[in-house]
Amino acid sequence: MTDYFEVHERDGAARIGELRLDSPLRTPALADDVVRDAGSLWNRERDLLDGDDAALTILPHRAYPAGTREEVIDAFAPDYADSAAAVDGPTAAVITSDAPAAGDAADAGVDAYVLSNAQGVVGHASAFVDAVVDVRETVPADTALYLSGVATPLNVATLAYAGVDLVDAKRARVKGSQGKYLTDEGERFLEDLDELPCSCPVCQVPREEFDRAACEEHNVNALEAELRRVRRRIREGRLRDYVEGQARHEQWLTATFREFDQQYGYTEARAPVARNNELTAATGDTIRRPEIQRFAQRVSERYVNRFRNPLVLVPCSARKPYSESQSHGQFHDAIQFRAHLASMTSPIGVVPQELELTYPAQHYDTVVTGRWSEDEKEFVAEVLRRYLERNEYPRVIAHVPEDGYRDICERVEKAVDVPFEYTVEDHPTTTESIGNLMSTLDGELKYSKRERQHNTVRAIADYMLGDGAGDDLFDELNTRSRYPKLQVRDDDEELLATMVPTYGALAFTLAGARRWVDSDAPTKTVEIDAFVPQGSVLAPGVVDADDGIRVGDEVVVEGPAAFAVGRAEMHGAEMRSSTRGVAVDVRHSEEL
Amino acid sequence: MSQPSPEVYERDRGMDAHNAVMRDIRAERDETYDAHEPTRVWLDEDNTPDGVKTSLTIILNTGGCRWARAGGCTMCGYVAESVEGGSVSHEALMDQIDACLEHERDNADEPAELIKIYTSGSFLDEREVPAESRRAIAETFADRERMVVESLPDFVSAAKLSEFTERGLETDVAIGLETATDRVRHDCVNKYFAFSDFEDACTEAAEAGAGVKAYLLMKPPFLAESEALDDMVSSVERCAAVDNCHTVSMNPCNVQRYTMVDELHFRGGYRPPWLWSVAAVLERTVDADAIVVSDPVGHGSDRGPHNCGECDDRVQTAIKDFDLRQDPSVFEQVSCECERTWELVLAEETAFNQPLAR
Repeated sequence: MTDYFEVHERDGAARIGELRLDSPLRTPALADDVVRDAGSLWNRERDLLDGDDAALTILPHRAYPAGTREEVIDAFAPDYADSAAAVDGPTAAVITSDAPAAGDAADAGVDAYVLSNAQGVVGHASAFVDAVVDVRETVPADTALYLSGVATPLNVATLAYAGVDLVDAKRARVKGSQGKYLTDEGERFLEDLDELPCSCPVCQVPREEFDRAACEEHNVNALEAELRRVRRRIREGRLRDYVEGQARHEQWLTATFREFDQQYGYTEARAPVARNNELTAATGDTIRRPEIQRFAQRVSERYVNRFRNPLVLVPCSARKPYSESQSHGQFHDAIQFRAHLASMTSPIGVVPQELELTYPAQHYDTVVTGRWSEDEKEFVAEVLRRYLERNEYPRVIAHVPEDGYRDICERVEKAVDVPFEYTVEDHPTTTESIGNLMSTLDGELKYSKRERQHNTVRAIADYMLGDGAGDDLFDELNTRSRYPKLQVRDDDEELLATMVPTYGALAFTLAGARRWVDSDAPTKTVEIDAFVPQGSVLAPGVVDADDGIRVGDEVVVEGPAAFAVGRAEMHGAEMRSSTRGVAVDVRHSEEL
Repeated sequence: MSQPSPEVYERDRGMDAHNAVMRDIRAERDETYDAHEPTRVWLDEDNTPDGVKTSLTIILNTGGCRWARAGGCTMCGYVAESVEGGSVSHEALMDQIDACLEHERDNADEPAELIKIYTSGSFLDEREVPAESRRAIAETFADRERMVVESLPDFVSAAKLSEFTERGLETDVAIGLETATDRVRHDCVNKYFAFSDFEDACTEAAEAGAGVKAYLLMKPPFLAESEALDDMVSSVERCAAVDNCHTVSMNPCNVQRYTMVDELHFRGGYRPPWLWSVAAVLERTVDADAIVVSDPVGHGSDRGPHNCGECDDRVQTAIKDFDLRQDPSVFEQVSCECERTWELVLAEETAFNQPLAR
């Protein structure tokens, strides 16, 4: 049971949590003032401290420094479950990532874990990533992870990005005492600074009065300030955007978030299926974000084109959704429903028109220079190739400009059966280009509004629920209202789902959810105890949850007493291992 | 002595684990040594109960510590300095002694007053040094003033020590107690005997008219700096309070190859103690009823006890000065900005965030 820690908001692996002390602590945060250490068992027996609701009590521990072998860890592991049960208050157990389950620490019922080998892994990207992943996948999701003696203003954003909840100011102070002046972009010898690059109160003295004692204080201030920024970024769902830039000041930090991108299983499970905020695509690393990779994967493996018309490939637009941009307006006017439209874009890949609202297609904002990196070209070409292998078109019209787009099309053209026709002279929106696009479609038949709407609903269902889901769920389908707020009804006019314009997904009704359960499409189910959820399902009420559930997913909630549908607030594994927090935001429920 | 041999102690999980790991680490080395050469020999000066004496220190190559072959102490790499196969003949041991005497003749004007013999094991263990060799060595040095021989407490007997004392040698047994805290000696150092065994050995030595010099280890693995410092202060005090233990020598741990400490250090989980900590122990135990000395090995290096790199030599000099004069005022004459860092480390370093500073 985690009684004193709760995760309130998530941004990938990073979280905003609350250490529920008498005076609650919002995490990620400094733990210096709230930790009580019952002491090491290496040098003597320790008495259990009485519980204290004002502090996080670190249970008597055997701390294994970096490099301790597993035999030794297993042999000396204390029984944290016993001591945790005896302390009435918030508790933490000291573990090592080399054997996080030693002594059954993972089931000890503590609120936090202290990583005793932190000094050995911080500073080494792959060791750090392995450590965090191993610990996080062993201990309950709603426990805080505390790394002591390692945080600096420079590294704390990356620590939080990895999923660290608690740090302290010990290292910042030690560095200050050594005359090292820390900022969010580096470390300098105090004696080399002729001017203090900071406006915290401690730094507002003449340079010659600023000594090492002041430097200690400044370092702590800088760390505090960075943590505030990190908390803000997590709330905004934009920590990754920040880390991609800030981590570049230190090689191991850049290597760390890149290594996390290689841990797709860990990061994808924690990446939400939708956010309400912009996703900044400003570096070459954005392409490897799990949100981007997942979109490309689903387009390549789940989406099917249902139009019989030719395909027109067009460049993306800065304005989102694309259809609201000026250039796409012109393309639309030229095409006049005679072709299926797909946008080529870095870093998303290929966006078929039905998915233009779907996260992150309408949320990303990239840097446009017309200069493509080889990585970008290779990525988009690969997605387009797989797209065309899966979807058959009578014709492919590439209405794309030179720089990058044309190059990609020519690469893909060689790898697929259907020939490409090129219609752009100079620029896609020149009169000549638009004229070419219009005339090349002469004689092609128009598709109806109904067909367009039905295909959109089914494409979104494919994307959300799996290959073939659109046809499985909506063999009978009627759309009402106006795009993008389409309503999906059956032949008896019962409402099944509504399209959510802000992130291009379907929100099911109970009838829609039942249809989903009855279909062949894989259902994302949260199994609950015998109660009827109103508003939300809390983690303790969850009996089981599918592994595939992601934050923001539509989920069916089933239990002996109720059937419900809603949006997941945690990923599946987190729902199973958590004892606090909202698991599902319930939209509709009924008593059975 | 009624205490059983090391093997009998090897019974609990922690010790089994330490031994298994240490055997594995030690197996990585493949050097062997010539049984006819001593491991090391050097000349120095030492503070003894009778004043400062010139000394000849001999590290005898005896085939090494039997405890180390079972796995042994987590910080000790000396086992590696022993010969392959394990046993060294009487003739070979005497060749080593001859080589030491030659070294002394080549490098000193006068024979040293004090002879110290270490074996990286137990000189009094007859499986390391046969009784025949032990007696021959006693005879060889019978004309000196003092002898120090190293041994685990198990092997200390009045009968063996009488062979030295009866020749008129002031004789001391050097016992690697490491710490007076049984839990630390057992769990961190992986040494099998108890403080009470050390006390018994002191009594046994007294029967032969010999004295005991306790060797302590500052900062075994798994202890934070402040824990290591406190452990040393209490250990010095407890040793000094034992009858017949007249000298305490505190060795700050250094990182030796093919040890558990070396692995921890390599992975970023161990830092040798600060020289300030060594100085602090000496200062704080100045009232203890014993000579208290420390001879930091490898001071100032990453693998030895060190401060910031600026002040290491000065603090080392003060420590050596203290060893001879036992006057704590020597430490008033050294200071450095890194004392603040050391104080922070004492206050903030715990077992779960060590090492907090390099």
